[in-house]
Amino acid sequence: MEKKVLQLKEGLFHVPTSSDDEPYLIGSKCHVCGYVAFPRKVICPACVRDDTMEETPVGKRASIVSFSLMGQAPKGFTAPYIQAMVRLEEGITIATTLTDCELKEDAVEVGQPVELVITKIKVDDQGNDIIAWKYRPIAKK
Amino acid sequence: MREVAIIGVGMHKFGKFPSESLKDLGRVAVWNAIHDANVEARDIQTAFVGNAAAGLLTGQEMVRGQVILNDACLFNIPVTNVEGACASALLALREAWVWVGSGMCDVALALGVEKMYVDDTAKSLAALSAATDMESVGSIGYQFSGGYAQGIQQSMRRYGWTREDLALVAVKNKYNGSLNPYAQYQTPMTVEEVLNSRVVAYPVTLFMTAPIGDGAAAAIVCAKEMASKFTSKLPIIIKAMAVHSAGFRDYREPFREPDPGTRGVPSLSAREAYEAVGIGPEDVDLAEVHDAMTPAELSTYASLGFCKPGEGNILIREGRTSLTGDIPVNTSGGLSARGHPIGATGLAQTAEIVWQLRGEAGARQIPGKSGKGPRIGLIENNGGTVGAGPAVSSVSIFMRE
Repeated sequence: MEKKVLQLKEGLFHVPTSSDDEPYLIGSKCHVCGYVAFPRKVICPACVRDDTMEETPVGKRASIVSFSLMGQAPKGFTAPYIQAMVRLEEGITIATTLTDCELKEDAVEVGQPVELVITKIKVDDQGNDIIAWKYRPIAKK
Repeated sequence: MREVAIIGVGMHKFGKFPSESLKDLGRVAVWNAIHDANVEARDIQTAFVGNAAAGLLTGQEMVRGQVILNDACLFNIPVTNVEGACASALLALREAWVWVGSGMCDVALALGVEKMYVDDTAKSLAALSAATDMESVGSIGYQFSGGYAQGIQQSMRRYGWTREDLALVAVKNKYNGSLNPYAQYQTPMTVEEVLNSRVVAYPVTLFMTAPIGDGAAAAIVCAKEMASKFTSKLPIIIKAMAVHSAGFRDYREPFREPDPGTRGVPSLSAREAYEAVGIGPEDVDLAEVHDAMTPAELSTYASLGFCKPGEGNILIREGRTSLTGDIPVNTSGGLSARGHPIGATGLAQTAEIVWQLRGEAGARQIPGKSGKGPRIGLIENNGGTVGAGPAVSSVSIFMRE
């Protein structure tokens, strides 16, 4: 069977179609209170209303909140890798893994800027490559 | 609600049992509880069975409780399956408590059972990751060990905890586990051994984490006024079981430490449990807490009100939470030494509290604050992650009269 490249899930992020095109995550924003969510929410959790959220791109840039070097991996992933929480420039914090950085316990710093990359994150049970978001460190503070 | 007593507990040792099925593990725990309670199997009128990952790891996706209990020869009774990740067993006990307390029935069984060990660590880790939102968290490489590790790093930076502080908790729990015939790890360890074990999620090392394993634990409850009909053992009364799911934390608000609240107790579940019973943290004789990563205990001491936020490392350094301390925590060895077959843990914590309050904890027995035996035990048991916190958080309080 030919190995495929599959998105983790349709509609979660935009995959760049050319080298000029930037990736982004597909979130939503409340036009009443400004609350931003990723993955996109239909109900604004701050207003608790179902008629105020609109889709919006988020997450092109972020900064590191915390991270940990992982010594063992769940099925489909390869250890070691770095699990992290990053704060998107829109203000929300999401779970991710890091790419293009050393695999050391002090590879990056809290607060360090990172940028969104859409890339292979794991292999599924059929051997297909699954793509989703990772973040790449830009520069140490 | 009328008062409900735990009249029997039973366990299957936690560990790696490749030749034993869910049915085998469950049967041993159930029948140990039946003997302990001195009931007949047919006295049990309903059962709640906690399990988290049997679908993913054994293929038993549906009717888990019915399969297990039919094999154990509990016939015809209503059986309900209960899931709450690592708090499944605790939630099963809570259902049993409410059914008996409300008068729906007089005698109920709660069982927690899990097979985590499938000779493929990556598969077990993938199952653990499924206790989160699988759209965007559990499916992208998130592991609980990493989540805990990041929180521990933040506490180390904020409060000056050292790596040795983290290891001291593991040393305490491994020592307690060595006195527990049901524990997966029964070997004491030194700080050096803990720190030198391989990194699982920096700074958490292997011997600071709960191991992957199998096991089961069960409890039989009945209306308090009926306890003496079955058993002459001391009935242990369920006084409170406070459970919460994740709330809403507005990321636009600046982060603050959790409100210390009444009597310095930041945790919502702990405050609710203490208030329901009319006691405070100073009244608790011992606590079984959720040390999936042992350093998490240092935060839990504060969330339960045993110390101020950030001062958990002072408690461990002074030995105050060891067996001989004034507030023993995880006398059983906790998740890290007793083990953590995730669907069984809440009832194993229950068994330890019951044994301690009855004076049946053997080499692990504590004298309690009165010196005449502990009277009030507390269980903290959490499960999964949703949003910024646990999917399930719980604090329960048991008391002997």
